[in-house]
Amino acid sequence: MSLGLLFLTVLALAAIGYAVGRRRAMASAGGDMRKLHSLPTFYGWITALGVLVPVLAVSLVWLFAEGFVIHNSAITHIDMAEVTEDSSVNLMMADVTRLAGGLSVLEAAGTDIEAMKLDIEALKTALGDAGVAMGNDPTPGMISAAEAVRTTGKWSRIGLNVASLVLALAGMAWGLRRITPEFRARNATEKVSLGLLIFASLIAVATTVGIVFSLLANTVHFFSIYPGSTFFFSPTWDPKFGGGSTLGILPLVWGTLYVSVISLIVAVPIGLFSAIYLAEYASRRVRGIVKPLIEVLAGIPTIVYGLFALITVGPLLRDWIALPMGFGNSSSTVMTAGLVMGIMIIPFVSSLSDDIINAVPQSLRDGSLGLGATPSETIRQVVIPAALPGIVGAVLLAASRAIGETMIVVLGAGAAAKLSLNPFEAMTTVTVKIVSQLTGDTEFSSPETLVAFALGLTLFTFTLCLNVLALVIVRKYREQYE
Amino acid sequence: MTTVPPTQDAVPAADAPRVAHSLFAPDKRTASRNAQESRFRAYGLVAIVIALLMLVWLLFSIFSAGLPAFRQTFIEIPVQLDAAVLDKAGNGDPVEMASVTTIGYGKLIGRALTAELEAKGIDIGEMTPKDLVGMVSENAAADLRDMVLADPKLLGTTVQFKALAHGRIDGYFKGRVTMETAARDNMTSPEKLMLADKMVAAGLMEMRFNAGFLTMPDASDKRPEAAGLGVAIIGSLYMMVVVLCLALPIGVAASVYLEEFAPKNRWTDLIEVNIANLAAVPSIVYGILGLSFFINFAELPRSAPIVGGLVLTLMTLPRIIIPTRAALKAVPPSIRDAALGVGASKLQTVTHHVLPLAMPGVLTGTIIGLAQALGETAPLLLIGMVAFVRDFPGAPMSGLFDPASALPVQIYNWTQRGDPGFVERASGAIIVLLVFLIVMNTAAIILRRRYERRW
Amino acid sequence: MKDIRLERDVQTETNKIEARKVQVYYGTNHALKDVDVDILDKTVTAFIGPSGCGKSTFLRCLNRMNDTVASARVEGMITLEGENIYDPRVDPVQLRAKIGMVFQKPNPFPKSIYDNVAYGPKIHGLTRNKAELDEVVEACLRKAALWNEVKDRLQSPGTGLSGGQQQRLCIARAIATSPEVLLMDEPCSALDPIATAQVEELIDELRSQFSVVIVTHSMQQAARVSQRTAFFHLGYLVEYGETGAIFTNPKDPRTESYITGRIG
Repeated sequence: MSLGLLFLTVLALAAIGYAVGRRRAMASAGGDMRKLHSLPTFYGWITALGVLVPVLAVSLVWLFAEGFVIHNSAITHIDMAEVTEDSSVNLMMADVTRLAGGLSVLEAAGTDIEAMKLDIEALKTALGDAGVAMGNDPTPGMISAAEAVRTTGKWSRIGLNVASLVLALAGMAWGLRRITPEFRARNATEKVSLGLLIFASLIAVATTVGIVFSLLANTVHFFSIYPGSTFFFSPTWDPKFGGGSTLGILPLVWGTLYVSVISLIVAVPIGLFSAIYLAEYASRRVRGIVKPLIEVLAGIPTIVYGLFALITVGPLLRDWIALPMGFGNSSSTVMTAGLVMGIMIIPFVSSLSDDIINAVPQSLRDGSLGLGATPSETIRQVVIPAALPGIVGAVLLAASRAIGETMIVVLGAGAAAKLSLNPFEAMTTVTVKIVSQLTGDTEFSSPETLVAFALGLTLFTFTLCLNVLALVIVRKYREQYE
Repeated sequence: MTTVPPTQDAVPAADAPRVAHSLFAPDKRTASRNAQESRFRAYGLVAIVIALLMLVWLLFSIFSAGLPAFRQTFIEIPVQLDAAVLDKAGNGDPVEMASVTTIGYGKLIGRALTAELEAKGIDIGEMTPKDLVGMVSENAAADLRDMVLADPKLLGTTVQFKALAHGRIDGYFKGRVTMETAARDNMTSPEKLMLADKMVAAGLMEMRFNAGFLTMPDASDKRPEAAGLGVAIIGSLYMMVVVLCLALPIGVAASVYLEEFAPKNRWTDLIEVNIANLAAVPSIVYGILGLSFFINFAELPRSAPIVGGLVLTLMTLPRIIIPTRAALKAVPPSIRDAALGVGASKLQTVTHHVLPLAMPGVLTGTIIGLAQALGETAPLLLIGMVAFVRDFPGAPMSGLFDPASALPVQIYNWTQRGDPGFVERASGAIIVLLVFLIVMNTAAIILRRRYERRW
Repeated sequence: MKDIRLERDVQTETNKIEARKVQVYYGTNHALKDVDVDILDKTVTAFIGPSGCGKSTFLRCLNRMNDTVASARVEGMITLEGENIYDPRVDPVQLRAKIGMVFQKPNPFPKSIYDNVAYGPKIHGLTRNKAELDEVVEACLRKAALWNEVKDRLQSPGTGLSGGQQQRLCIARAIATSPEVLLMDEPCSALDPIATAQVEELIDELRSQFSVVIVTHSMQQAARVSQRTAFFHLGYLVEYGETGAIFTNPKDPRTESYITGRIG
């Protein structure tokens, strides 16, 4: 039974449980609703939940564990000697999976699988005809591994179906048994509901745990096969396919910081002055039109900015500034990415600063104006100093956003990792390398791929610190005025 | 009587000089201060103007590059489906016919073009039928083959075949390709371009609205004219459905718990900080999480909408929780008190009274969260969505596990290709993406304006 | 605490501020109607009346603070020593150096005590060097009866003082620009009785150098502190005259109702 069908069947059983439970409750009270502790609908609900919740919980765990189990069952069949030099266990396993799929397709088409398995050439042609592309030729070890995949998969699904149906029926029976007029169905339903709510909240926590765990586990793995000192202190980034790479984070951090600094240089003055004008000088009508327009800049996806950098800003800077002045001849540069990223984070600075400036009490402004100060003097000498912690928080958040940005730098800054002062050269960042190392062809447990996790952990830690700092500053500032 | 400290000094010390000054006479210093004021104000205005100009520049640049993608050059000619070429065995066996590759069909197209051009009296000079085939997209032969294999009865008849013109011809009409570049290009030649002009004059070739841009699947590197967003749109749609079905209930449930039921202690404070942080974590970290957990551990298929949907759900969850909590907080306590006073349980109070009142805020936040998820690229790249996908994913639920693409990933993919025709495609795809986003954001704004209450 | 003095000696009779037919509109709401009043030099003038009667509104007209409210519109004439302050040639910035204001809730800037007082002279360029500025700050703090309490901590933040001290700091700040008139909008309403007494003592001393206009909710305070009193009611200036006369022998029945507590 397919997953979709199973899901619908369980839902149907739950609906039946609801109807039966309700009817049972009414029956047990002799048709008089007032004799029941709770409304009849709750008796129905508690029965339906008894069907749904155990099944869903078990199915979820089962589905996630299934892959793991299948993988392990197949691995034992692969002869390590068969793993050729330019291949790897993971690539083989990918082939095995495809082979398993191909065998199922052939079986469905009516071909004799057993005969095929002995004649590898025929198998190859049949697979090719069926449209299954394999990296390497099927070996006997792979064939038995593929069969293991198919068998385990089949039994797993059968097991899942059986377990789900059994649980569903058991749940319904148990639920129905509990129904008596005194049974506090509403309380029970609400307790289960509360449990579901708590579970939902924990997903948010689980996400963080998942992020930290996946980053840490793989980073630890990375540092076990690559010297940490080289990673943290080497000024070269030179991954080589097949080993012997130098993986130093310094040029990447330099690129990241350089691009972010340029973007802040663009965004902070524009954003801050826009916020000041909108908060202190603009009429309500102007504010109502301009503020949403600036927010539009924040809603545009970063891939759009990336393309903009690639086809418009990059060539423009190259043709008008870099080439005439001899700074460089690339259109993918730190300056391009920094400029475009600066445009993107203008609304981050401007919106937050606007809120913060508005939070400064009017009495301070009145005090200054009453002394005969001009509005700009009031802003410069009273309002901004009062709002400064909040504005610093806003800038930190904008910086955090700039550091974690990927697509603009992928398309706008290029992939060359170097330590250079010239902003019109191509330099790359941490995020670009995470993408390139994880979408490349290298084997998963090689240092070249695992380094991406170490980079990810560095990025995550850094942005986390910036975010927490910004949050603490803004919170303290808000307390001061509220 | 209270003791008041005596006045400090009988005679006050030096006073700031009181300038006996007419109000009408402008003070020099005040004038310079006022000038400073105007300058300061001007800085603010200039900053706003710069920001808005950037926005206009961005949109103008994308639209001017992308709008041409919606119009495409087509050639429409009658093609004789000669059985001698296509069905050599002569028995109409589909398997046999399938062995005829696109080269055979290409030959037929060449013949048809030659015949038609002759019929219209256009001089083709030195060009051979093979050259003529170069006027049409390389996809055309494959399309013709698919048409015949789907309906073998067409064999032997003459069909009116609508083919895409070659990418370079299309580029010529859109200004990308000129006679000078054509001379150096190995995919076209100045002769072909001049022939194209003549064909347009004769009505054989024309530029039309290209609905196929939205419905066709992706095409390979050399065929930008045949590349479409069909697979990407379906993929994105599936992912949005997954995100909506998962993130909305989970987000609302979590918000309700945290706002209404959770005790106010250090743990819930920690959870709050945690959620605020998750909202600001770079999206690429979610991609790493998706790769580690969903792909490597749970062995879900790469490049499938289900994985993309799950990753985007985790990313959108904090962005739904935060506005939902704000909406719940905005409902005044008096309403809760009223419900509790009548004897409703806490859960009933929330579901019957508080949540319906907070709904506009919740839905607004959800729509905005979905819009942000639609535009995300980096996490999808990490879960394997870079691959070239030509087949449409199947119907849900199993279709969610088929490989697919997504709008922003498709855009990224196209920017990495060499052919300049793909720049136009990528920009056009961005226009499609922006249209979706504008619709969603407008819906959110209308929802907010019409239904949000100020307590 | 001083008792009500029925005989007040007023040193000069010159008009510092003259207001004629002043109307104030907030949007379409006619908040202040036909106000005619003369504020005398070196005198404390009190504005009294029930809530919402327009006294604060009129006070804010005197230094054009209503300009900062978008919907406010002022008609009529207000002159300072003969010059109409609403004349288009007049820069409000200059005007407010001559007419200082103290607000209801103490609002020291989040700066040091020294910087709070020095702010006014600095922006108007009234001193030539730091030494002069130091002298001005000390003089103003002395006049505000705050010097002895803060002379050792001039650099500490102004917001760290007690409520009464903060209000005296605001007074010192307001007089640092040597204004000719000092406007005070219910300066004691946020203070405890001891601080109130200190501020009232201060007001009485300041009148030897400035005209003081004080809006107050408390009739008793008006009686203690002022020489002239104006009674406002529902946007009209009902009666204006010597404080003693207003309180013992009011001419208008509305004034009498307010004084005796029947309205307000």
